[in-house]
Amino acid sequence: MNKTNRRDFFNSIANGLHGATLASLLASEARASGVYDLKPKSPHFAPKAKAVIQLFMNGGPSQVDLFDPKPTLTRLAGTAPSRELSFAISNGDKPGFLMPSPFEFKKHGKSGMDLSSAMPHLASCADDITVIRSMYGEHANHEPALFLMHSGRTIASRPAIGSWIAYGLGTENQNLPAYVVLDDPKGLPINGISNWQSAWLPPIYQGTRFRAEGAPVLNLEPRKEIPTPLVEAERNLLRKLDQAHQARRPYQPELDARISSYELAARMQMAASDALDVNQESEATREAYGLNDSATASYGKRCLMARRLVERGVRCVQLYIESQIFDSHDKLEDSLGYACKKTDQPVAALLKDLKQRGLLDSTLVVWGGEFGRLPMSQGTGKGAGRDHGPNGFSVWMAGAGLKRGHVHGATDDIGFKAEQDKVSVHDLHATILHLLGMNHRDLVYKRHGLEERLTDQFPARVVSEILA
Amino acid sequence: MRNLIYLSLLLGNPLLAAPTFDATVKPIFAAKCASCHNEKVTLGKLSVESERTLLKGGETGPAILPGDAAKSLLIDKVVTRQMPPGKDKLTDVEIDRIREWINTGLPKIQEVAAEVSEHEVRGILQARCVLCHGSGRKEGGLDLRTVASRLKGGKSGPAIVPGKPDESLLLQRIVKGEMPPAKEAKALAVELATDAEAGKIRAWIAAGAKEADPKSISPDIVRESDKKFWSFQPPVAPAIPAVKNQALVRNSIDRFLLAKLESKNLTYNREASRLTLMRRLYLDLTGVPPTPSEVAEYEADVALNAYERLVDRLLASPRYGERWGQHWLDLAGYADSEGFGEHDGVRRYAWRYRDYVIRSLNADKPYAQFLTEQIAGDEVSNDWQNSKGPFSQQLIDRLAATGFLRTTPDPTNSNERGLIAERMNVLADEVEVLSSSVMGLTMGCARCHNHKYDPIPQRDYYRLSAILQGAYDPYEWRSPNKRELPLAMPDEIAEVEKANAPIEAEIKRLTDQIELISAPFKKEGVTYKRGELVKENPELKAKLDPLNKELGELRGKLKSKPHTRVLTDNLQPSQSYLLRRGDPVSFGEPVEPNIPQVLKHSSLKAYQPVAPYEGTSGRRLALAQWLTQPNHPLTARVAVNQMWMRHFGRGIVPTVANFGKSGLPPSHPELLDYLATQFVESGWSMKAMHRMMVTSQAYRQSSLATEAQIAADPENALLARMPLQRMDAESLYDSLLLVSSRLDNKAFGTPAEVRLTDDKEVLVKPGKDGYRRSIYTLHRRQTPVSLMDAFDQPSMTPNCTERRRSNVATQALHLFNGSMSWDLAKYMAGRIVDESGSDRARQIENLYLRAYSRKATAEEIKLSLDALQEFEKQWPERLKQDLSEAPHAAQAQWLALANLCHAILNSAEFSFID
Repeated sequence: MNKTNRRDFFNSIANGLHGATLASLLASEARASGVYDLKPKSPHFAPKAKAVIQLFMNGGPSQVDLFDPKPTLTRLAGTAPSRELSFAISNGDKPGFLMPSPFEFKKHGKSGMDLSSAMPHLASCADDITVIRSMYGEHANHEPALFLMHSGRTIASRPAIGSWIAYGLGTENQNLPAYVVLDDPKGLPINGISNWQSAWLPPIYQGTRFRAEGAPVLNLEPRKEIPTPLVEAERNLLRKLDQAHQARRPYQPELDARISSYELAARMQMAASDALDVNQESEATREAYGLNDSATASYGKRCLMARRLVERGVRCVQLYIESQIFDSHDKLEDSLGYACKKTDQPVAALLKDLKQRGLLDSTLVVWGGEFGRLPMSQGTGKGAGRDHGPNGFSVWMAGAGLKRGHVHGATDDIGFKAEQDKVSVHDLHATILHLLGMNHRDLVYKRHGLEERLTDQFPARVVSEILA
Repeated sequence: MRNLIYLSLLLGNPLLAAPTFDATVKPIFAAKCASCHNEKVTLGKLSVESERTLLKGGETGPAILPGDAAKSLLIDKVVTRQMPPGKDKLTDVEIDRIREWINTGLPKIQEVAAEVSEHEVRGILQARCVLCHGSGRKEGGLDLRTVASRLKGGKSGPAIVPGKPDESLLLQRIVKGEMPPAKEAKALAVELATDAEAGKIRAWIAAGAKEADPKSISPDIVRESDKKFWSFQPPVAPAIPAVKNQALVRNSIDRFLLAKLESKNLTYNREASRLTLMRRLYLDLTGVPPTPSEVAEYEADVALNAYERLVDRLLASPRYGERWGQHWLDLAGYADSEGFGEHDGVRRYAWRYRDYVIRSLNADKPYAQFLTEQIAGDEVSNDWQNSKGPFSQQLIDRLAATGFLRTTPDPTNSNERGLIAERMNVLADEVEVLSSSVMGLTMGCARCHNHKYDPIPQRDYYRLSAILQGAYDPYEWRSPNKRELPLAMPDEIAEVEKANAPIEAEIKRLTDQIELISAPFKKEGVTYKRGELVKENPELKAKLDPLNKELGELRGKLKSKPHTRVLTDNLQPSQSYLLRRGDPVSFGEPVEPNIPQVLKHSSLKAYQPVAPYEGTSGRRLALAQWLTQPNHPLTARVAVNQMWMRHFGRGIVPTVANFGKSGLPPSHPELLDYLATQFVESGWSMKAMHRMMVTSQAYRQSSLATEAQIAADPENALLARMPLQRMDAESLYDSLLLVSSRLDNKAFGTPAEVRLTDDKEVLVKPGKDGYRRSIYTLHRRQTPVSLMDAFDQPSMTPNCTERRRSNVATQALHLFNGSMSWDLAKYMAGRIVDESGSDRARQIENLYLRAYSRKATAEEIKLSLDALQEFEKQWPERLKQDLSEAPHAAQAQWLALANLCHAILNSAEFSFID
């Protein structure tokens, strides 16, 4: 019995159909007519991670101020950059001078990893993360760079990585969505909802936004104006109507799916509210995530929700911050400081919490933005910041299947360009899929009869050097 | 440690020794590649026998790029398993060794100094310089487009000195970073030449600045044998097969389908009941179910041809164009916004294209004309240039029709997002829309490399792309806001003028007043810029500031003059190139506009652009003429197959956008050709095709499935029954409105707006007559209407050739808990009471007719009566709490009925089509 048939066999038991053969035929008809589901699917090989939490740091966190110390910048501070560098400034400003970091780098943990004073809490997790210092992108503007990071191309028309993961693996908990997005109540990231679109993948694989305040999902609760017993009475009537409708139309798998979708909706009301209820957590946990501090409360709450979701079998959780707070064009120290203050403690708490619960062994955490920043200043004096730098930047990952306390790759002396062991965004995607037990070449969706992939036709490779 | 390295060297450890061609990669190539790519057999013109031959590369460019494995074509081919063909792929270890060799084992590209063709130099200059030194502007008297004009130079002398790169001004200026001037370049969205590009210009000048050898263009690689594939051959009307069961034949479609079924000992399902068929037909042709009075009328019509007359009525209904217009907008990838960034700017006049589509379909405009107008409406005639107006609807429609090629996301209104790469993406998306929707070809793959499966070389992609480059010139780009013409209907213009007249009068009054105050302070003969006068005379500030503020506010209130989005050509389109690996600045050979060579056929007229009038190239018009030839292999087949899919749930070619070798073959090839030839013979009448399809016996079958049928044909490819289908998002939305009497039938014009609730739900704003149909609702990419979004309304990326459908919990949440369905249910209950009075049984009958288009059975009436009784008990308590003023008992009766309506609207029977 091959994999597909096996799955159908179990489905047929669950759905009370008439024998495995017929069920398999029905399922193939369902696929042929374009009906897809979120039932768990076997990966290509034994996975290291069962779930992913992506901490997306919109704006372009500055590598030379956070993860990638450049003493040369201090030595050459105030000198003029090369022509290539000066043109990289995008806003029509005069190119500034090479600018050292206002933050101090120190070695942390047993691994002696260099991390800056901007993220003191993360520094305490140095031995749990793998930093890639040699990322490079393709575009210096937010929109295309975000599309690249999320979907593998700088254009607006491809499925997000979370959608690919949901498509490839389904999800463990049928009462919750496979792919949850926790966006900031203060506003959507750049590119808005396109960041979690399924594009031409079937729409069930698109990210579902869970709101951190109020009811987590749109229309999760019945209308308040309808008396509660009536809601139940209406559901009962609906069940009778649909069962009678289905009984007159045998062998239609879509009608089964329809009835179960209404049952799931009722269950989801409970499951989602429960999953996002951080009041169930201990005071110590809430404190650790920074829920009692106004600066960290918002992001901390979402980090804690992310853990609760992963714990309940959600496959992919993406966290966003308000618009693009890492976009430090001016007042570098203040603006980057603000972004770090808001996120550093919650992120570190998430890592520690996952580790303590043994979840870090089955969860992959990915931290990064759409690009990095330039080594020279934009603007002058105290007001100076840094412009976008896609040619070399850092991301870090932690958890299942990765080396811990490890640094991979390097940029040039001033942190402008990735130079050694360069990692493309496609390589990063291939590596994430690999950790989830999928080969990026084999995660294929047939579209117009052709095979589409997250990594498209790009020569992506798994960054095997960072695997444990 | 030293010993260890020494030892490794001795053992020839490839990880430690510097990789060389002979030691590191030659053995791999010899084993896996050389049988097809050697000095004698050079498939794709590539040989892997030496560093030199790999650097030279093959048809698609150099195989390796020293120092950059990630950008090397060879790595691309082996990693993506395109090469080698067959099972013996390269192992990961082998690939890593090749990467290592490319990255570290080769001298850098500059030192290799391959011969640089003038083609490449021209491409580079076109991308970096020609905007200011070309056909339009000739800054410094300099035109850099041709070798002759470069030699001639400008005010500062010749731009190049053959053989002497260091004396060539062109190179000096580039290398010093003087050109392009940084500030201006940014404003024009031009990027600097890279060092590698400067190196190429240097090499070309050093080698004598020669013209390209015209013979250097490599010959086409499409062979005659490639054209034999079925879909590249013109359709021929097939013989109509005989069938055993004549009684089931209503038209020739049935003969083709039955012949195949009978050969497998199968036959059609029994006919669907009259009202089931009626509901199916209504939803199919108009997107909404019949009303109770339409049901009654049809039931009373006992004439033999009642069904056929119903078909004619529905095809003549304006709702037909609204329904099938949506299908066409799917293919075009229609949206009302630019689709980029937070702002997702609204395309204010996109709706003209939507209206054009609806009007054309309702008028049964011949498909050939419909296509021609959409591809080249501007090129059909220059009447629009010569006329000062007033303009006819027909003329505006013909120009708005080019909106077909204006649908894809376009970020280039912003300079920062308007660089060549983004422009090429817009162009590529339009090529995809065109090729997937009209030609059934997956051209996109060939943007970066020769098509893997179909005989579509990369050059053919750029030929097709060059047809659109007349209008979408990536080197002399026009952003979306520069592609609007001030064309509109007289009544629209009059409306704006009428609205603006009082504001303009007020503006005049204010400017006069300001002038009156300012005049005494103005010196004679001096023109004052904004704010200058106040600066010189601070005492004026207090008087003028409030007036100026008011003036600004008034100006903001002026309605802008109505425009039309039109695609038009540039006066002198730039040269098009094959772009290596799809990289917008890696110029390969130049290409001329043309169609894919595999579709060149002796019985087809060649693609031959002729400028229809001065100022346009005629490239698109020639494409339209070529596509709409009666025996075109693809056009009619693709169109009838799309229609077939919408009627029968599955295409005859199931991969509707891929008629190539990697697509699925047609289940009924003769039927497809029969329909295609009939389509052309009918004068490309889409309504004639619909009529033929929906009056076939095949269409009238029941959708009830039996175990035997499923065992015999699980995918129902042979059509031994009709498929059961859930309504798509738009049909569901429109039907909810219709059955609850909330549908506003207003057609055309600016779309209904949407609003965002505090919960971030996107709802439609109703007008005084209710809600307009989905097709007349704003389709902003960032704010899809939540209900339709949940029911799989596609995001246009860039278009949608085939809908997917899911049945998931979020749909139930929207329909069961959402505000819209509950509001509609209450409204519906109110209208049912208005129509049917207080008799519960009559109310239930009315409800069933509205929602299900059939009578309720006695059993169903009993079930509903019981439910109503239960619902009614729950309300008085709540109404008492709410201090509702209306009589509680009467209100409870109405609300209980609303609950019943709500349940029925949520039921599967409402949203599924038998």
